[in-house]
Amino acid sequence: MDMNTPETQARAMHLVMDAGKLLLENGGEVFRVQQTMQIMADSLGIEGFNTYVVTNGIFASANACNEVRHIPSVSIHLARVEAVNELSREIAAGSLDLAGAETRLKEIRSLPARHPGVLIASAAAGSACFGYLFGGGLPETLAALAAGIVESILVQLCRRWHISRIFSDIISAAAGTAIALLCRLLWPPLDVSTAAIGALMVLTPGVSLAMGIRDIINADYLSGAIRLLDAVLVAGCLAGGVVLTYTAARALWGVAL
Amino acid sequence: MRNPLFQFVVAAFATIFFGVTFHVPSRHYIACGIVGAVGWVTYLVCHDLGGLSPATATLVAVLPLTLLCRIFAVRFRAPVTLYLLCGIFPLVPGAGIYYTAYYFLQDEGALCAERGFETLKIALAIAFGIALVSAIPLPRHRALPRK
Repeated sequence: MDMNTPETQARAMHLVMDAGKLLLENGGEVFRVQQTMQIMADSLGIEGFNTYVVTNGIFASANACNEVRHIPSVSIHLARVEAVNELSREIAAGSLDLAGAETRLKEIRSLPARHPGVLIASAAAGSACFGYLFGGGLPETLAALAAGIVESILVQLCRRWHISRIFSDIISAAAGTAIALLCRLLWPPLDVSTAAIGALMVLTPGVSLAMGIRDIINADYLSGAIRLLDAVLVAGCLAGGVVLTYTAARALWGVAL
Repeated sequence: MRNPLFQFVVAAFATIFFGVTFHVPSRHYIACGIVGAVGWVTYLVCHDLGGLSPATATLVAVLPLTLLCRIFAVRFRAPVTLYLLCGIFPLVPGAGIYYTAYYFLQDEGALCAERGFETLKIALAIAFGIALVSAIPLPRHRALPRK
């Protein structure tokens, strides 16, 4: 294929932008997005390619055209990140042409998300594991499991109804703690804290923390700062949720803390 | 300290369950599990047996964890993030967040401040540990193309 016509240049640019967007919205670091786009553009022969990437946007210019992408929300799908990574490697090795790369990118975009039931089950199982790891016995582990189920159902519902993350975090943390408290009504010697922490681990901002650090290490200070701010915000929301439940419990039933 | 082998296995499963929610391809599950479990058991050994503070123990635990992530990333040709995002979770200070809120509510100002500060210290320890290990040069499969 002749890569020098304006049409193919624009098509290649479009492909590179879409690949970058796919990486960013599925949990790639800023540095990786920038690097991958640059490698793809060089290999596809896009003339005068330059790009600037931040946490929620991609700006790029080339001789043929300029494009911008807005990435309003990130939902982690690491299989897609890995696949785009592999795609860029193949393009760089010259084993894929433009048309082949476009087809592959379409396939990657349609890699399925797991069934919500599977997501809920694994988040709940994760909660139970943490309930055990943080020193819980069988009752605490089971309470963490129950709290984890309710919590992750809420998270899924909030995501489906496009409810803001802040609200979703507060509500889920509150619900998890509430379930742990309710379990104590059934089994009075239960250590509520251990069970609640197990369930809370699913909501903790580990992703934002780890990605923020990696962005900052790669000298993308702006993106790193945005993500670390997100981590602090989520931690605050979780604490708020816990406080909310305990306050309500104290007011309603006078539950001793 | 309770049975280390059992702790290792449960921590590995916890990490894998997080991997499932992040849509990690199934061929990476075992590597993810090992990364998370190594971090957690190192933390336990340092904290429970070594008597280190939670923040210091976290820092020590992040080092082998991040190193493993990088080794697996090179070995299996996958992004480091894929292992790091899942593997870091056992060390994230969820308990710190909870107890900070808990003592805040009980008007235990000193305990609340102490827990909040400790949470921050653990988060910084994670950041510092990842940064330290990321700076170690490791052989790569491909060098960056020079312009």
